Amino acid sequence: MTDGLRIFLAVLILTSLLVIFVVSFILYRKTPLPKGCEDMQPSEEKCANCKEEGCHLNIYAEKKKKENEKK
Amino acid sequence: MTPYIYSFLLAIVSSMLVDNVVLSRFYGICSFIGVSNKIKSAFSMGVAVMFVTVFAALICWPIYNYILGPLNIPFMDTLTYILVIASLVQVVGLFIKKYSAPLYKSFGIYLPLITTNCAVLGVVQSNTDTALGFGLSMANAIGTSLGFILAIVVFACIRERLEQYNGNKPFKGVPLALVVAALMAMAFMGLGGIGA
Repeated sequence: MTDGLRIFLAVLILTSLLVIFVVSFILYRKTPLPKGCEDMQPSEEKCANCKEEGCHLNIYAEKKKKENEKK
Repeated sequence: MTPYIYSFLLAIVSSMLVDNVVLSRFYGICSFIGVSNKIKSAFSMGVAVMFVTVFAALICWPIYNYILGPLNIPFMDTLTYILVIASLVQVVGLFIKKYSAPLYKSFGIYLPLITTNCAVLGVVQSNTDTALGFGLSMANAIGTSLGFILAIVVFACIRERLEQYNGNKPFKGVPLALVVAALMAMAFMGLGGIGA
Protein backbone atom coordinates (compact mmCIF):
# COMPACT_ATOMS: atom_id res chain seq x y z
CA MET A 1 0.00 0.00 0.00
CA THR A 2 1.50 3.37 -0.97
CA ASP A 3 1.96 6.23 1.47
CA GLY A 4 -0.47 8.36 -0.50
CA LEU A 5 -3.20 5.74 -0.23
CA ARG A 6 -2.58 5.35 3.50
CA ILE A 7 -2.89 9.10 4.04
CA PHE A 8 -6.04 9.18 1.92
CA LEU A 9 -7.60 6.38 3.99
CA ALA A 10 -6.59 8.14 7.21
CA VAL A 11 -8.22 11.39 6.09
CA LEU A 12 -11.32 9.48 4.95
CA ILE A 13 -11.69 7.73 8.31
CA LEU A 14 -11.15 11.01 10.18
CA THR A 15 -13.72 12.82 8.04
CA SER A 16 -16.33 10.09 8.47
CA LEU A 17 -15.84 10.09 12.24
CA LEU A 18 -16.17 13.89 12.29
CA VAL A 19 -19.42 13.63 10.32
CA ILE A 20 -20.72 11.00 12.76
CA PHE A 21 -19.81 13.26 15.68
CA VAL A 22 -21.49 16.32 14.16
CA VAL A 23 -24.66 14.35 13.35
CA SER A 24 -24.83 12.84 16.86
CA PHE A 25 -24.23 16.28 18.40
CA ILE A 26 -27.04 17.84 16.35
CA LEU A 27 -29.41 14.96 17.22
CA TYR A 28 -28.52 15.31 20.91
CA ARG A 29 -29.25 19.04 20.87
CA LYS A 30 -32.53 18.53 19.01
CA THR A 31 -33.79 15.81 21.39
CA PRO A 32 -36.18 17.37 23.91
CA LEU A 33 -35.57 16.93 27.61
CA PRO A 34 -37.51 14.08 29.28
CA LYS A 35 -40.74 14.86 31.17
CA GLY A 36 -39.96 16.18 34.59
CA CYS A 37 -36.51 17.46 33.64
CA GLU A 38 -37.50 20.62 31.79
CA ASP A 39 -36.99 22.89 34.75
CA MET A 40 -33.95 21.23 36.27
CA GLN A 41 -31.96 23.76 38.22
CA PRO A 42 -28.30 23.41 39.13
CA SER A 43 -28.03 21.95 42.58
CA GLU A 44 -25.68 23.52 45.09
CA GLU A 45 -25.07 20.06 46.49
CA LYS A 46 -23.91 18.47 43.24
CA CYS A 47 -22.22 21.35 41.49
CA ALA A 48 -20.63 23.46 44.24
CA ASN A 49 -17.02 22.57 43.41
CA CYS A 50 -17.36 22.26 39.65
CA LYS A 51 -15.51 24.87 37.57
CA GLU A 52 -16.67 23.55 34.20
CA GLU A 53 -17.64 26.80 32.49
CA GLY A 54 -18.90 25.02 29.35
CA CYS A 55 -21.73 23.31 31.29
CA HIS A 56 -25.11 25.04 30.93
CA LEU A 57 -25.87 24.28 34.59
CA ASN A 58 -22.64 25.71 35.94
CA ILE A 59 -23.47 27.78 38.99
CA TYR A 60 -19.87 28.82 39.59
CA ALA A 61 -19.86 30.65 36.22
CA GLU A 62 -23.26 32.22 37.07
CA LYS A 63 -21.94 33.50 40.41
CA LYS A 64 -18.79 34.88 38.77
CA LYS A 65 -20.92 36.63 36.14
CA LYS A 66 -23.11 38.25 38.82
CA GLU A 67 -20.02 39.37 40.77
CA ASN A 68 -18.55 40.94 37.62
CA GLU A 69 -21.85 42.71 36.87
CA LYS A 70 -21.95 44.15 40.41
CA LYS A 71 -18.40 45.51 39.94
CA MET B 1 -12.32 -22.32 37.40
CA THR B 2 -11.07 -22.32 33.83
CA PRO B 3 -7.84 -20.42 33.11
CA TYR B 4 -9.70 -17.95 30.91
CA ILE B 5 -12.25 -16.98 33.58
CA TYR B 6 -9.41 -16.78 36.09
CA SER B 7 -7.45 -14.38 33.81
CA PHE B 8 -10.60 -12.34 33.22
CA LEU B 9 -11.29 -11.93 36.93
CA LEU B 10 -7.63 -11.27 37.70
CA ALA B 11 -7.57 -8.54 35.04
CA ILE B 12 -10.64 -6.89 36.60
CA VAL B 13 -9.15 -7.00 40.11
CA SER B 14 -5.75 -5.72 39.04
CA SER B 15 -7.22 -2.84 36.98
CA MET B 16 -9.50 -1.97 39.88
CA LEU B 17 -7.08 -2.15 42.80
CA VAL B 18 -3.44 -2.61 41.82
CA ASP B 19 -3.41 -0.27 38.83
CA ASN B 20 -6.22 2.05 39.93
CA VAL B 21 -6.93 4.59 37.21
CA VAL B 22 -7.13 7.60 39.55
CA LEU B 23 -4.79 6.72 42.40
CA SER B 24 -2.04 4.85 40.54
CA ARG B 25 -2.19 6.15 36.99
CA PHE B 26 -3.52 9.66 37.87
CA TYR B 27 -6.13 9.84 35.13
CA GLY B 28 -9.53 11.53 35.54
CA ILE B 29 -8.32 13.78 38.38
CA CYS B 30 -10.51 16.69 37.26
CA SER B 31 -13.82 14.92 37.79
CA PHE B 32 -12.35 13.04 40.77
CA ILE B 33 -11.77 16.34 42.62
CA GLY B 34 -14.67 18.30 41.16
CA VAL B 35 -17.57 15.89 41.63
CA SER B 36 -16.64 14.23 44.92
CA ASN B 37 -18.07 16.61 47.48
CA LYS B 38 -21.20 14.45 47.93
CA ILE B 39 -21.42 10.64 47.88
CA LYS B 40 -24.56 10.56 45.73
CA SER B 41 -23.14 12.78 42.98
CA ALA B 42 -19.82 10.91 43.11
CA PHE B 43 -21.57 7.58 42.63
CA SER B 44 -23.66 8.96 39.74
CA MET B 45 -20.54 10.29 38.05
CA GLY B 46 -18.80 6.94 38.54
CA VAL B 47 -21.69 5.05 36.97
CA ALA B 48 -21.75 7.43 34.00
CA VAL B 49 -17.99 6.97 33.50
CA MET B 50 -18.42 3.19 33.67
CA PHE B 51 -21.16 3.30 31.04
CA VAL B 52 -19.04 5.30 28.63
CA THR B 53 -15.75 3.45 29.31
CA VAL B 54 -17.18 -0.01 28.66
CA PHE B 55 -18.94 1.04 25.47
CA ALA B 56 -15.89 2.96 24.27
CA ALA B 57 -13.67 -0.10 24.77
CA LEU B 58 -16.29 -2.25 23.01
CA ILE B 59 -16.24 -0.01 19.95
CA CYS B 60 -12.58 1.09 19.79
CA TRP B 61 -11.00 -2.38 20.06
CA PRO B 62 -12.52 -3.67 16.78
CA ILE B 63 -11.83 -0.34 15.08
CA TYR B 64 -8.12 -0.61 15.90
CA ASN B 65 -7.73 -4.33 15.20
CA TYR B 66 -9.91 -4.62 12.10
CA ILE B 67 -9.60 -1.20 10.46
CA LEU B 68 -6.55 0.79 11.57
CA GLY B 69 -4.20 -2.18 11.96
CA PRO B 70 -4.91 -3.98 8.66
CA LEU B 71 -4.85 -0.65 6.76
CA ASN B 72 -1.44 0.09 8.32
CA ILE B 73 -2.51 3.44 9.84
CA PRO B 74 -2.05 2.84 13.59
CA PHE B 75 -0.93 6.48 14.05
CA MET B 76 -4.62 7.47 13.70
CA ASP B 77 -5.55 5.71 16.95
CA THR B 78 -5.66 8.68 19.35
CA LEU B 79 -7.68 10.95 17.07
CA THR B 80 -10.04 8.10 16.22
CA TYR B 81 -10.59 7.24 19.88
CA ILE B 82 -11.31 10.88 20.81
CA LEU B 83 -13.91 11.19 18.07
CA VAL B 84 -15.47 7.83 18.92
CA ILE B 85 -15.70 8.72 22.62
CA ALA B 86 -17.17 12.16 21.89
CA SER B 87 -19.76 10.67 19.51
CA LEU B 88 -20.54 7.87 21.97
CA VAL B 89 -21.22 10.37 24.74
CA GLN B 90 -23.64 12.24 22.49
CA VAL B 91 -25.41 9.03 21.44
CA VAL B 92 -25.66 7.70 25.01
CA GLY B 93 -26.97 11.09 26.16
CA LEU B 94 -29.50 11.04 23.34
CA PHE B 95 -30.85 7.59 24.30
CA ILE B 96 -31.02 8.48 27.97
CA LYS B 97 -32.82 11.75 27.19
CA LYS B 98 -35.32 9.98 24.96
CA TYR B 99 -36.02 6.80 26.89
CA SER B 100 -35.14 7.24 30.54
CA ALA B 101 -36.02 10.30 32.58
CA PRO B 102 -34.83 8.77 35.90
CA LEU B 103 -31.40 7.99 34.42
CA TYR B 104 -31.19 11.48 32.91
CA LYS B 105 -32.06 13.03 36.26
CA SER B 106 -29.42 11.00 38.09
CA PHE B 107 -26.44 11.35 35.74
CA GLY B 108 -27.53 12.96 32.50
CA ILE B 109 -25.90 16.27 33.34
CA TYR B 110 -22.53 14.60 33.88
CA LEU B 111 -22.35 12.96 30.46
CA PRO B 112 -20.84 15.92 28.58
CA LEU B 113 -18.12 16.12 31.26
CA ILE B 114 -17.03 12.58 30.47
CA THR B 115 -15.93 13.55 26.97
CA THR B 116 -12.98 15.34 28.51
CA ASN B 117 -12.25 12.66 31.10
CA CYS B 118 -8.87 11.25 30.16
CA ALA B 119 -9.55 8.05 32.08
CA VAL B 120 -11.76 6.84 29.23
CA LEU B 121 -9.15 7.61 26.57
CA GLY B 122 -6.44 6.14 28.81
CA VAL B 123 -8.25 2.80 29.09
CA VAL B 124 -8.88 2.53 25.38
CA GLN B 125 -5.29 3.51 24.55
CA SER B 126 -3.81 1.03 27.03
CA ASN B 127 -5.92 -1.78 25.55
CA THR B 128 -4.24 -1.30 22.19
CA ASP B 129 -0.77 -0.34 23.48
CA THR B 130 -0.53 -3.57 25.46
CA ALA B 131 -2.12 -5.56 22.57
CA LEU B 132 -4.77 -7.12 24.79
CA GLY B 133 -7.31 -9.52 23.33
CA PHE B 134 -10.98 -8.57 23.24
CA GLY B 135 -11.88 -10.36 26.49
CA LEU B 136 -9.01 -8.86 28.47
CA SER B 137 -9.71 -5.41 26.98
CA MET B 138 -13.27 -5.61 28.28
CA ALA B 139 -11.98 -6.85 31.65
CA ASN B 140 -9.58 -3.88 31.73
CA ALA B 141 -12.43 -1.47 30.93
CA ILE B 142 -14.75 -2.96 33.55
CA GLY B 143 -12.02 -3.11 36.20
CA THR B 144 -10.82 0.42 35.49
CA SER B 145 -14.29 1.90 35.75
CA LEU B 146 -15.02 -0.07 38.95
CA GLY B 147 -11.73 1.30 40.30
CA PHE B 148 -12.83 4.82 39.39
CA ILE B 149 -16.15 4.33 41.21
CA LEU B 150 -14.32 2.91 44.24
CA ALA B 151 -11.83 5.79 44.38
CA ILE B 152 -14.36 8.58 43.87
CA VAL B 153 -16.92 7.19 46.34
CA VAL B 154 -14.32 6.58 49.08
CA PHE B 155 -12.94 10.08 48.44
CA ALA B 156 -16.47 11.54 48.65
CA CYS B 157 -17.05 9.76 51.98
CA ILE B 158 -13.89 11.35 53.39
CA ARG B 159 -14.70 14.78 51.95
CA GLU B 160 -18.17 14.75 53.49
CA ARG B 161 -16.51 14.25 56.88
CA LEU B 162 -13.97 16.98 56.11
CA GLU B 163 -16.84 19.48 55.66
CA GLN B 164 -16.79 19.73 59.45
CA TYR B 165 -13.09 20.66 59.57
CA ASN B 166 -12.58 23.95 61.40
CA GLY B 167 -8.79 24.14 61.36
CA ASN B 168 -6.44 26.29 59.28
CA LYS B 169 -8.37 28.30 56.70
CA PRO B 170 -5.80 27.93 53.88
CA PHE B 171 -6.23 24.14 54.07
CA LYS B 172 -10.03 24.14 53.98
CA GLY B 173 -11.63 22.66 50.87
CA VAL B 174 -9.58 21.54 47.88
CA PRO B 175 -6.06 21.81 49.44
CA LEU B 176 -6.96 19.36 52.19
CA ALA B 177 -8.77 17.19 49.65
CA LEU B 178 -5.57 16.97 47.60
CA VAL B 179 -3.62 15.90 50.69
CA VAL B 180 -6.23 13.20 51.31
CA ALA B 181 -5.99 12.07 47.68
CA ALA B 182 -2.21 11.75 48.05
CA LEU B 183 -2.62 9.63 51.17
CA MET B 184 -5.13 7.42 49.37
CA ALA B 185 -2.68 7.01 46.47
CA MET B 186 0.02 5.93 48.97
CA ALA B 187 -2.40 3.44 50.50
CA PHE B 188 -3.15 1.94 47.09
CA MET B 189 0.58 1.58 46.43
CA GLY B 190 0.50 -1.11 49.09
CA LEU B 191 -1.59 -3.24 46.75
CA GLY B 192 1.17 -3.29 44.15
CA GLY B 193 2.47 -6.73 43.27
CA ILE B 194 -0.83 -8.60 43.74
CA GLY B 195 -1.32 -11.01 40.86
CA ALA B 196 2.26 -10.66 39.66
